[in-house]
Amino acid sequence: MYHLYLVTSVGGRAGFGIATDYRERNKQYASHSGDIVKFSYIYGGLRTHAKAIERTIKTQFSDNIWIVDDWKTEWLKDGVTMQDLKAYVDQLLKERSFYRLTVIAEDYDFKQGLIATN
Amino acid sequence: MTFKFNYEEVVRKPNPMVEINPLKRGKGRTVNLQDRVDKLNKSAAWKKTTKLWTAMNKTFDLTRFPQVSMEPLGALDIDEDIQRELDEKHCANRIANPAVFDPALLQPVICIKTSKGKFISIDAQHTVSTVAGLIDAGLMPGVTDWKEFKFPFMYIETNNLSYARKAFSILNGKGKKKQSQYQQLRNSVFVIRIDKDRSDEDDVKVEKLVAAAESHLCFPVEEDSTLLKHPGTFSNISTFKSLSINEIDTACGWHDKYFHYEGVHVSLFFIYRDLCREFGSAKIPLSEKLQEELAAMIQKLFGNLSQFQESVTEAHRRWHEKSYGYKGSWNDDAYACALVQLYQKFGGKEKVAPTLLDRFDNLIEFFDEDIMGLAD
Repeated sequence: MYHLYLVTSVGGRAGFGIATDYRERNKQYASHSGDIVKFSYIYGGLRTHAKAIERTIKTQFSDNIWIVDDWKTEWLKDGVTMQDLKAYVDQLLKERSFYRLTVIAEDYDFKQGLIATN
Repeated sequence: MTFKFNYEEVVRKPNPMVEINPLKRGKGRTVNLQDRVDKLNKSAAWKKTTKLWTAMNKTFDLTRFPQVSMEPLGALDIDEDIQRELDEKHCANRIANPAVFDPALLQPVICIKTSKGKFISIDAQHTVSTVAGLIDAGLMPGVTDWKEFKFPFMYIETNNLSYARKAFSILNGKGKKKQSQYQQLRNSVFVIRIDKDRSDEDDVKVEKLVAAAESHLCFPVEEDSTLLKHPGTFSNISTFKSLSINEIDTACGWHDKYFHYEGVHVSLFFIYRDLCREFGSAKIPLSEKLQEELAAMIQKLFGNLSQFQESVTEAHRRWHEKSYGYKGSWNDDAYACALVQLYQKFGGKEKVAPTLLDRFDNLIEFFDEDIMGLAD
């Protein structure tokens, strides 16, 4: 199973990413920021579908991406909230019902270990 | 085994590109040079550069400013160590092509003038050779000796041939902002749509290709354009131009019917180029059912063509290494072969061109397990 996660930074900024091992990835965020970082939502499913959704966020949601100098980050600009991002992803999944991705965890950090999935 | 997948409709939304497509019409706007100076003055890069000039105490040296005069063509020499060999076909088929030749489009010769009064060409040897050749052939009424014919020369006075060499390099690419593929395409389209000039068959073909794409809500845009966020856009112009009008019509029709909510991925053009050509050669119709089932398979296995491309590239890498024992470079022909082979693997029953089945033997076995596991 592959994962698309929606992350909230320590300062409250919303972001996103993809990972095979979401626990390891969450640890890396904690290590960089020096604090517990929450994956507000983790979606699990087919690798290609997780990547396709991430790519769609980067292109079709691009007006909301936080750009540092000319670098397009994987964070959203000021004023765009986690609720906005979650609503966008859920809308995509609703409109493109062929995507095999479902929420497998909310408000996750690495201390919770791995989430049991069926 | 029955085919595993059904295409799932995605609600169609109005595509803003229909209204904002830059190729629909020109801006119809002319600006004066002041507009461009104002733009420069607002640019951070420009401000940085002018500051650097001041810091380096550099000023515009008017003594190095080029001169322009009308000089007889016989006064010009060509240094073969600076300019390229003459391309006779370029003179004959491009510049002097009677269907398009227009003296108004000739460019001045760029050259140096030595202290001995000799002019040495840096750029435009093909232009002046063509003009001299046309006079020599008796095709310029009233002019018999090309050596005496006066032509615009732009030059600086120097004996330094290294200047000429550097200048040739700049004028022919290095240091010059080249026209992008998109800009060239836009020029061709505007020559037809705005200027109503259909005299150049290349321009006519390019405009027809663009019109075929647009009729299916597919739109070429500049590389890195912000318009790429809109569905139906694409920036790989050279691949697009390599297809026939019928191939573009079929490819873009498929994209619009099944993936109207996505940008056009470049693999679409390679896939349809090969499907059209191989099915055509085999006299097998590219059936509606097959095309819908291919769309369904891409949706379910990959989500879109972009992810199909990632997966097939990785599969090809593994396949090549396993088959030949070393890393090979990607082959665009693998897109259509892999797609058709996957189609059969997942139970597709429509007739396909056999030439797409016997290449890249066992390539599909190298796709990720989570993809191939869906066949069980």
